[in-house]
Amino acid sequence: MRFSESQLALPLAALFVTFFVAPLSVLVALSLVTEQGGNTFTAVHYIKFFTDSFNYSILFETLLLGLKATGVCLLFGYPIAWIAARAKARWQSVLIFLVILPILTSVVVRTFSWIVILGRQGILNQIVLGLGLSHEPVQLLFTEVGVVIVLAQVQMPLMVLPILTVLTRVDTNLADASRALGAGEWRTLWRVTLPLSLPGIVAGCILTYSACVTAFVTQTLIGGARLIYMPLQIYQQAIGANNWPFAAAISVIFMIAVLALISLFGMFGRRV
Amino acid sequence: MSSKISRRNVLASGLSLGAASLLPAYTLAQSKTLVAATFPGTWNEAHRAILKPAFEKRTGASITQSIILGQDQVSRLIAAKGSQPPFDVAIFDSPQVLDAVKQGLIAEYPVAKSPNYKDLLPEFQDKWGPKISMQVIGIGYNPKKITTPPKSWKELRDPKYKGRVGLTALNSQLGIAFLAELNRLNGGSETDFEPAFKALRELLPNVGAIGANLGAYATLWQQEQIDIAPYNFNFVQTLKGKGVPVELAIPESGPVGWFTSMHIVTKAAEPDLAMAYIDTHLDPAVQAAMMKPPFDVIPTNSKVKLEGAITQSIAKSHAELSKIRGFDWEKLNPQRSALIERFNREIKL
Repeated sequence: MRFSESQLALPLAALFVTFFVAPLSVLVALSLVTEQGGNTFTAVHYIKFFTDSFNYSILFETLLLGLKATGVCLLFGYPIAWIAARAKARWQSVLIFLVILPILTSVVVRTFSWIVILGRQGILNQIVLGLGLSHEPVQLLFTEVGVVIVLAQVQMPLMVLPILTVLTRVDTNLADASRALGAGEWRTLWRVTLPLSLPGIVAGCILTYSACVTAFVTQTLIGGARLIYMPLQIYQQAIGANNWPFAAAISVIFMIAVLALISLFGMFGRRV
Repeated sequence: MSSKISRRNVLASGLSLGAASLLPAYTLAQSKTLVAATFPGTWNEAHRAILKPAFEKRTGASITQSIILGQDQVSRLIAAKGSQPPFDVAIFDSPQVLDAVKQGLIAEYPVAKSPNYKDLLPEFQDKWGPKISMQVIGIGYNPKKITTPPKSWKELRDPKYKGRVGLTALNSQLGIAFLAELNRLNGGSETDFEPAFKALRELLPNVGAIGANLGAYATLWQQEQIDIAPYNFNFVQTLKGKGVPVELAIPESGPVGWFTSMHIVTKAAEPDLAMAYIDTHLDPAVQAAMMKPPFDVIPTNSKVKLEGAITQSIAKSHAELSKIRGFDWEKLNPQRSALIERFNREIKL
C-alpha cells in the first residue's frame, strides 16, 4: 500500500478534531443555551455581555494588560536575544539556559515567590525602605504594575527564544556591510538588524501576548480579586456561580477578541 | 524464530494492550477500593492520618482519597450524571448539599444501618448524610500588631486599620458567609443585600487586599500583608500551627458558621463501603483524635467531650455548640451568582 503525503497528516487531524474541534464546538453550543442541560437556543448570554459596560471594561483591560506585558517583554527581551546571538558559543548556551530557567519551575511556584518579593514585607520593599526612598512600603502586590512585572518575567522565554532563533540566522556579513558603508552601531541595529529580525519579534509577541492574557494563576495571585481580568471572570462564573452557559459565552468572546488581536500582529508582521 | 516485527505482530500486541487498559476495572472490583473526596489542607491531612487507617482496619478495603473542592465535586458529579460517578463519597459544605440534592447527585444515607449515627447531636443528623463538623467564622487578627482582640465586626472599619484589612472574593464560602453576616448585623434580609454592600463600601478604604481564593488569602496572612480580616477557625488553627502570627476573635454578636457533611453519591460503585467510611468519621474515637491539634476539627458526636482550642473561642459545651448560628442557604444559594457579580462591581479598582 502506498501513502500519499497528505494521508500522513490524518492521525494529527484525528487528534485535532477529537481534542480541539469537538470540545470547542461543545463550548460554543453551551454558550447558546439558556441554562445547562436546556435545549432552547438563545443569544441571551452574548446580549447580556455586550449590554453591560462592566463586562467589556474587563475585556478591554485584559487585552490592554496583554499589550503592556508584551511591550515590557519586548523591551527587555530583545536586548537579551541580541546579546545572546552575538555571544561566543559557550556563553550563548549559558545565556540560553538562564533564559529557559524560569520555565523549568512551575508557574505557581514562580508566582508565589513573586509574592514574597513584591509584598509589604518583601525584598523589594525592604530595599526601598532601607535606602530611605520611601517611608511607607510601596504597594506592588494587587496592583496592575505588579501584574505586568510578574507577567513579563514569567513569559520572557516566549519572547527571547523566537527572536534569538531569527537573529542567529541573520547573515553577519550584512551588519559588516552596513558598517563598511559608514553606518554606526545604532543605525545598523535600527536599519538592518531590527527589520531582519521582525519575523522573530512578531512570533515572540504573539506567543507572549496569548500567554499573558490567559495567565490565570499570575493574574489572580498577583492581581488579587480587585483587579478582574477575563480568566478570573470566566472561572468565577463557571465555578463560583455555576453559570456555565454565561461562562462559555464569555470564553468564546474572549477567544475571538484575542484571535483578532493576534491576527493584527500577524498582518503587521507580513506587511513590513 | 524470527524477531522481525510483522504488521500482524504489531496489531496483536496493540489489541492486547487495548484490552489490558480495560482490566483495571476488574481488579478494582476484586480488591474493593473506595474513592472518597476530601478537601485540601487540614481536612486532607486529618483524613489521611486518622480516618484512612480507621476505615481500613474496620473494613479491610482500601481507600483512595482525592482532593477536590466542594463546588468542583458538584461540577464533576453533574458532568458524570447517568454514568459511573468519579468518586463514591462526597464531602460538602451546607450550600452544596442543597444543590446536590436538587440535582439528584447524592443518595439518602442509610441511617438505620449506621451504628454511630444515633449518637450525633440532633443538629448534626440529616437523612441526606450526617454532618461531620462545623466551620465557624470570626475575626482573624495578627496578635503582633493588634494587642487587644477585636470585639465586633465594626472594628474592621476603624480608620487605624487603613490598608490593613483583608477580604476574600465571594467564590469562597468564607466570603459569602461574611457578607451574609454583615448584612444581618446591618439590618438586611435574605432578599435585601443593600445594607451589606453599603457596609462593604464603607469598609473599602481600609481594605488592603482581596484574596482571589483561599490559598492566596492564607498567603496574605503569611506575608503579613494584612492584619485583620474575617477568617475561619480551622484555617486560623492551621496557620498558627505553621508559626504564622494569627488569632481568631469571636465578635460579641456571636459565632456563625456552616456545616460540613459527607454523602454517598448516587450510583456509587461501593455504597456499603461508602456508608462504613462515613460512619467511621462519626466514631467518637475518630472524632476525638481529629479534635486534637493540628487538626482541631469540631466534633459532632455527643459522646466526644469538647477540649482544646475549640473550648477557648468557639463553644465550651455541646449546648453552646448547638447554638452557633447558621445561614439560610435555601434563600442564599439562588442569589450567589448575582451576589458575586455585584461584589465584583463594587470592589473593582
